[in-house]
Amino acid sequence: MSAPLIEATGLSKTFTSRGVFKRGRAVQAVRQVDVALAGGEAVGVVGESGSGKSTLGRLMLGLLPATEGTVRFDGRTLDKIPRAEWRTLRRRMQIVFQDPYGSLDPRRRVGAQIADGLAIHGLVPAGEQGRRVGELLTMVGLDPLQAKRFPHEFSGGQRQRVGIARALATSPDFLVADEPVSSLDVSIQAQILQLLGELRRDLKLALLFISHDLPVVRHLCDRVVVMYLGRVMEEGPAERVFAEPAHPYTRALISATPRLDPGKRTKRILLPGDPPSPSDPPSGCVFRTRCAHAIEACAGAVPALRAFGEARRVACIRAEEIA
Amino acid sequence: MKRLWLPGGFVAAILLIALLAPLLDLPNPIRQDIARRLSGPIPGSPLGRDEFGRDVLSRLIWGARTSLGVAFASALIAGAIGTMIGLVGGWFRGIGELLTVRLVDVILCFPPILLALLVVTLLGPGAATLILVLSVLYVPGFARVAYAEVLSARSNDYVEAVRALGAPTGRILLRTVLPNIAGPVLVQFSLAVAAAVVVESGLSFLGLGVVPPAPSWGLMIRGARATMEQAPLMLLWPCAALTLTILAMNLLCDALRDWVDPRTPARRPRLRLVDRLLPGLLPPAEPKPETVLDVSGLTVEIETPLGAIKPVEDVSLSVRAGETVALVGESGSGKSLTATAVMGLLPPAARPAAGAAWFGDRDLLRLSEPELRRLRGGAVAMVFQDPMSSLNPVHRAGDQVAEAIRAHQEVSVADAKARALDLFRRVGIADPERRLNAYPHELSGGMRQRVMIAMALANRPRLLIADEPTTALDVTVQAQILDLLAELKRETGTALIFITHSLAVVAEIADRVTVMYAGQVVEQGPVAQVFGTPLHPYTRALLGAVHESDAAPVGIPGVVPQPHAFPTGCRFAPRCAHAIAACSAAPPPLEEAAEGRLVRCIRWTDLAGAKAA
Ligand SMILES: Nc1ncnc2c1ncn2[C@@H]1O[C@H](COP(=O)(O)OP(=O)(O)OP(=O)(O)O)[C@@H](O)[C@H]1O
Ligand code: SF4
Ligand code: SF4
Ligand SMILES: [Mg+2]
Repeated sequence: MSAPLIEATGLSKTFTSRGVFKRGRAVQAVRQVDVALAGGEAVGVVGESGSGKSTLGRLMLGLLPATEGTVRFDGRTLDKIPRAEWRTLRRRMQIVFQDPYGSLDPRRRVGAQIADGLAIHGLVPAGEQGRRVGELLTMVGLDPLQAKRFPHEFSGGQRQRVGIARALATSPDFLVADEPVSSLDVSIQAQILQLLGELRRDLKLALLFISHDLPVVRHLCDRVVVMYLGRVMEEGPAERVFAEPAHPYTRALISATPRLDPGKRTKRILLPGDPPSPSDPPSGCVFRTRCAHAIEACAGAVPALRAFGEARRVACIRAEEIA
Repeated sequence: MKRLWLPGGFVAAILLIALLAPLLDLPNPIRQDIARRLSGPIPGSPLGRDEFGRDVLSRLIWGARTSLGVAFASALIAGAIGTMIGLVGGWFRGIGELLTVRLVDVILCFPPILLALLVVTLLGPGAATLILVLSVLYVPGFARVAYAEVLSARSNDYVEAVRALGAPTGRILLRTVLPNIAGPVLVQFSLAVAAAVVVESGLSFLGLGVVPPAPSWGLMIRGARATMEQAPLMLLWPCAALTLTILAMNLLCDALRDWVDPRTPARRPRLRLVDRLLPGLLPPAEPKPETVLDVSGLTVEIETPLGAIKPVEDVSLSVRAGETVALVGESGSGKSLTATAVMGLLPPAARPAAGAAWFGDRDLLRLSEPELRRLRGGAVAMVFQDPMSSLNPVHRAGDQVAEAIRAHQEVSVADAKARALDLFRRVGIADPERRLNAYPHELSGGMRQRVMIAMALANRPRLLIADEPTTALDVTVQAQILDLLAELKRETGTALIFITHSLAVVAEIADRVTVMYAGQVVEQGPVAQVFGTPLHPYTRALLGAVHESDAAPVGIPGVVPQPHAFPTGCRFAPRCAHAIAACSAAPPPLEEAAEGRLVRCIRWTDLAGAKAA
């Protein structure tokens, strides 16, 4: 693999709620995560809600300061970059949001919002902006004439396309897509995923694709990172991880995914109870309170994310036994 | 837009007259003429003369200049400073918040009159002093409104998106945040102007504001009060001017706020009584005894500004005891409206325009509200997508379930509680004794949905309608809930209608499926058959869009049409890969393709044949 475009090492984020009189409990949203993406590579991040996926995406964009660890983009460490240079870096990293309703400013025409990036970075002369916005709209499968419309005049899928056009306006190298299709119908999901796949190929985008929908990730991504309670449980080539999940959590996740074809249905592994609170995670393996294979040793030390087969890593001390 | 004209015109007229006062041919407002003291309307003075014989109309107009000038100037200054303080405080939080919003809050501790007295004593009375006092008084109001709005606006993804674009803070604040907080700030502005006009009058009345003989509405009221017995009309004019101005300002700012927001919805039309009664006059179809619910020909009509629409048209489906029927389709296909029509929970502007929903020997569409209420939560229950909004946040979960039991059965509080505990155990809530006493916000999403299901099951319903009960949940929790529903159905023989947009979920739990598109049933039949050999092109396209097989999923081009723009012929024609001219000519009928299988497509036989060949 070529040198990574963006690389996170030992990334952690702890949120402490601010209160004058009572000390809030610290939420450990992301713990010791390593991720690297080469140009043109798509990495999927899956996990349940509250597992820290979105926080990880924002950390990698430098939109949130990390509590620990570093993010290197194109060979440079993000928190060491002077403010002035941030502006030029911003141009190269972009984000597409989950909620196509909340992510567009309801009071401005979509054309103006897409042009924002162009104007902020002075990428095209003011007179050319309209033409460029038209090109971007065409690129995401919309009519250039729709630039004059307001967000509420679009359907959910169309809004998501506008969001993608806005992110692409600055010709980024790295794109974080935070659950970009979760709120859309399957028929529209397929359109948007097709689009993202094409853009990634044509524009050589490094794509961090955040999702809780495993089958979607399998189709779009080269590699997948499975998170639970802020930690990486398993990581590896998407195809392989889905075919032979190594971590008990990944197995449960895959078995819980509803299947159309009754023949493909595996026996469901029902996880007992609810995920523990991220402000009070279990000691040792964070998954042990719901794991069917947990033994005493699992409560001891946090299992290391260690090599498992070719190009794969897993954080479970019993992975080989279970397999 | 229309609402802007009247108050806008009125305010503009007042402002224009005040501004143009020097150009109007008015008598000097401060020239006294003691001889004509307190005279009624006379030539040249249509509103008469005041206690010093000064022309009242002229004083009213020149007074407006002072009063409105002071009010607008102070509201503008306070608005600009206060909004800026709120923006900075809300955006930077921390120290910024302390130095701005908290600091100006100190002003709120001073009684306004005391502050005014203080400043007037220091600087002497006059319009400039008034503007200063009023500006200082209104800054905290603007700061607080702007601050609260910024806090809510900054958490929006679109603000994060411009940050991600690398926009400098100033640009974010001015271009993105400011327009989105403009509405409430405008309202605050109208309140400030109105209040300033009143306070100006009050202070002038007390002799702390505008210095006589300069005209102002407050001074006029003060003067007229002394001679109230002799010339009561003198009091009326300035008071009327004051009231009308304030009223117009408030209306204008209200209208402005709506106008600034491009999303303002059209107003909902009122429902006529005849619309409510009409369906009852149609002859009902015969009920079928073997089914729990039999919906036939259900049409829902909604009055909109664009005319009446039928988002649900001629929908028929039935469900037997112990059976699960899934209702599936893209968003906007009419699934939820079908369910709410059956439950008698349609939104106010909607009504069932035709059809029947037989529940035993009763037609649910024609029951009165009290009859429906007895059924709802009893023999017929519903579970919604978002359990948080359907649970009462201020009551304990256990009490809500117990209350649901007592609403339909004569049992003591203690018995109802015991039954609730039992239900909590049945739906698999861990540690049920403790969870009974938990408030909804203390429960996780999956647990809240279990509480909703427990509540729905409390009175052993014969029919349970679940509208996307697992859509907001994670897959592992969804699997738990689907298992729970399947098990409960087996045990109790409850008929279940399950609404979802996920075909995979349908395949997991349903016996039969009804596929809806643009308000109509397009295909119906046993799940294995419909998914195994789909007959309608839409069903086939939907299945092809699912990420399941190794083939890449294919999207369906276009979107579901809006109800006011349904195509005349086949509603799927604009998106259908097999459409021919005949498809758009007339609406295709719902045909029986085989025993228990329905399809609404004129080409289903050709297409099935082509596929087989
Ligand atoms: N600003 C914040 N302040 C406090 N806690 C936060 C904040 N942002 C996230 N968290 C917490 O961090 C944890 C991980 O959050 P995150 O949103 O990254 O999860 P997620 O996997 O993306 O979830 P979802 O699928 O629901 O979006 C959660 O417990 C969340 O409550
Ligand atoms: S380390 Fe132990 S508890 Fe954790 S996943 Fe592996 S077996 Fe389960
Ligand atoms: S009637 Fe025509 S347009 Fe409609 S689904 Fe059938 S083939 Fe397609
Ligand atoms: Mg998220």
